[in-house]
Amino acid sequence: MDTNKLFDEYYEKSLMQGGTTCCPGCGGPLFWRMILDVLGPNTILYGGGPCAGCATRNIKLPKFGLHFSFVADAASGIVAALAAKGREDIIVVSGAGDGGTGDISFGKVSAAAERNENMIQICIDNEAYMNTGIQKSGLTPFGAWTTTTPLGKEANKKEIPMIVAQHKVPYVATSSVAYPRDLRAKVEKAKGIKGFRYIHNVMPCPTGWRFDPAKSIEVTKLMVDTWAWPLYEVENGVLKVNVKPKQRPVEDYLKSQNRFRHLTDKQIEWVQGNIDEKREMLLKNDGKKIII
Amino acid sequence: MASVVRAFRPVVDQEKCIGCGNCQTYCPEGTVMLRDGEVVFDYRFCKGCGVCANECPVDAIEMVREVGG
Amino acid sequence: MSFTRMMEGNEAAAYGAMVSRAEVVPAYPITPQTELISHIATLIAEGKMRAEYIKVEGEHTAMAAACGASAAGARVFTASSSQGVAFMDEALWMPPGRRLPIVMCFVNRSIAPLGSLRPDHNDSLLQRDKGWIQLYCENSQEVLDTIIQAYKIAEDKNIYLPVAPCYDGYFVSATATVTTVPDQAEVDDFLPPYKHEMYNLMPEDYEGDSVSRRSIAESRYEVQKALDRAKTVIEEVDKDFGTKFGRSYDGFIEEYACDDAEAVLMTMGSMTGTAKDVIDEMQAQGKKIGLLKLRGFRPFPTEEIRELAKKYHAIGVVDRNSCLGSAGGGIVVQEVARALYPLDDRPKLMNFFVGLGGSDVTMRQIEYMAGKVLEAHESGKVKDEVDWVELRDLGPVM
Repeated sequence: MDTNKLFDEYYEKSLMQGGTTCCPGCGGPLFWRMILDVLGPNTILYGGGPCAGCATRNIKLPKFGLHFSFVADAASGIVAALAAKGREDIIVVSGAGDGGTGDISFGKVSAAAERNENMIQICIDNEAYMNTGIQKSGLTPFGAWTTTTPLGKEANKKEIPMIVAQHKVPYVATSSVAYPRDLRAKVEKAKGIKGFRYIHNVMPCPTGWRFDPAKSIEVTKLMVDTWAWPLYEVENGVLKVNVKPKQRPVEDYLKSQNRFRHLTDKQIEWVQGNIDEKREMLLKNDGKKIII
Repeated sequence: MASVVRAFRPVVDQEKCIGCGNCQTYCPEGTVMLRDGEVVFDYRFCKGCGVCANECPVDAIEMVREVGG
Repeated sequence: MSFTRMMEGNEAAAYGAMVSRAEVVPAYPITPQTELISHIATLIAEGKMRAEYIKVEGEHTAMAAACGASAAGARVFTASSSQGVAFMDEALWMPPGRRLPIVMCFVNRSIAPLGSLRPDHNDSLLQRDKGWIQLYCENSQEVLDTIIQAYKIAEDKNIYLPVAPCYDGYFVSATATVTTVPDQAEVDDFLPPYKHEMYNLMPEDYEGDSVSRRSIAESRYEVQKALDRAKTVIEEVDKDFGTKFGRSYDGFIEEYACDDAEAVLMTMGSMTGTAKDVIDEMQAQGKKIGLLKLRGFRPFPTEEIRELAKKYHAIGVVDRNSCLGSAGGGIVVQEVARALYPLDDRPKLMNFFVGLGGSDVTMRQIEYMAGKVLEAHESGKVKDEVDWVELRDLGPVM
């Protein structure tokens, strides 16, 4: 078979050109590749940002982007324009990294949620400002090495999904590229809901997390299986824990990446304690209304 | 089109392959395809990250060093 | 049906946006623009205006939303002032660089470290480098008319640049003057629906991304060329508007009472109204002083200024702005100086700072400034290149 032709047809159909300028093993292009066929071609993509740009540049959808200080805002304008033109059939997807979502445009995400803007807001979270050389963000986890936290980050990771959920938006979900069926189901569900939908996906970053790119999926799966990144939904204020893996010790996850290699046993114990608490709270409230 | 520079390229042992599709599912670039029971690679764009090899449950894919210029 | 009544500048602007059929209004309130956007909200609530009003949480977001909406094919209107303009500065680079024909009113208000709610021109003049077209309005009627003209200019296929009608907070925004709102059908005839030929975000029309390999120099040059072309378009649109609606504004520069004048004062914004009265009185006393109203600041009317320089022997530029540490004087006088520089025979040029932070520009001050210009013309010498008029004790108001 003519493999070139085969792949070219595939890239056309899957709405994404193979061969991005992302790092080998990056979760970014993988994430988009997993959900583009679910979104479909009647979509406008908004977003920018150094890592995000590398992934989205290859996407075969109409796009608009500014900088990472402009998360969700121009997308609100696009939504309004489409409403003015009677084209609310078009899905507006607004993608942003953790730096944009959690730091510089945090207020904008909150405001778009408050206005219940009719868009799917996606956080493409690789846990630091990566493409600019690995600097800490508000979504960098405790203890992680970055160039601006060389001794390990002192503060905790911001819990953006719960914060957004508290804005009383119709749908919030966390997802992972290591669980593609769960991810795709969530995008499918979000597609059918009107209003502000938020999906937060943690992306493996071999460059910034310091591990062999080949282990990308393995590390991401560990993140979920240790409950460091639990997969749940909050739909109309009701929590649902989607994946309940048998809990593995967080040490397995921390030891899989060099960004945590300086953590002491005491610190690892502390992290484990936090995770245990979080897991307990999630399981206790599974199926219950958790938003006031 | 820019040519990809990579250190390793994936090579499949078709005999070992069980057709699970993990390699296609998890390739970040979409450069691995399971077609008619055969695993094919798009070496134009493959970066040699090694995820396909790592996710193969039967070690049918080997990352082989790129030789030459 | 057109109607006429007393109307404040902000309300006139709201009607301007309404008859121009703005489709998306992303706006954040700031004094003295606030009434403009609440009027728009009322017009929408009353069903008189059909627009999506995005009640954003800050000005930076307002301008970003404006960009998204414009790129997606909607006619956009917004407005801000002072600190809000400064806050959205990052976003204000986008419309000219991305060729988005947004119309934004700058309801002029001073940007002051110690705070001021009243007008000077630093907020809009801060945007003079980015590629925005700027037109300064003297009263409510001019605001309304300029907004309609602004869309025609901005959406011209050879332009595609954002346009900023600027008007002084309080003195125009909150001062009622007689204003006519034109008939909707007449405006529709003058202003066709918006369709951007450089953008199409509709998925069904998507043909792949055009790869932009232009360097920054090339893209800046393109904007400059569009601004050059805008000079003709601005004059033509004003003339056509005059033909259709019976009101026009002399394009870039209005020469007021200049038939006999040998020296002129140059003003921008609301103080022009007061200045016209003072000039009338002085002319009645036989003084050969005229007034130049600078309406268009961007693109700067260099050629027109050079032509005018042949007629007048002294020009006093009134700067209602600060340009601290500059080569000499305020922002407008420096542009005028640059325009005049290549001439062999240059008029005397001087600069007056007045009305900073929105303090009243009094008739006495205008009389003083006009007097200084005449003095420079008669003596052939400029005594003070830069004159901080407000800090002088000029005696009682005229």
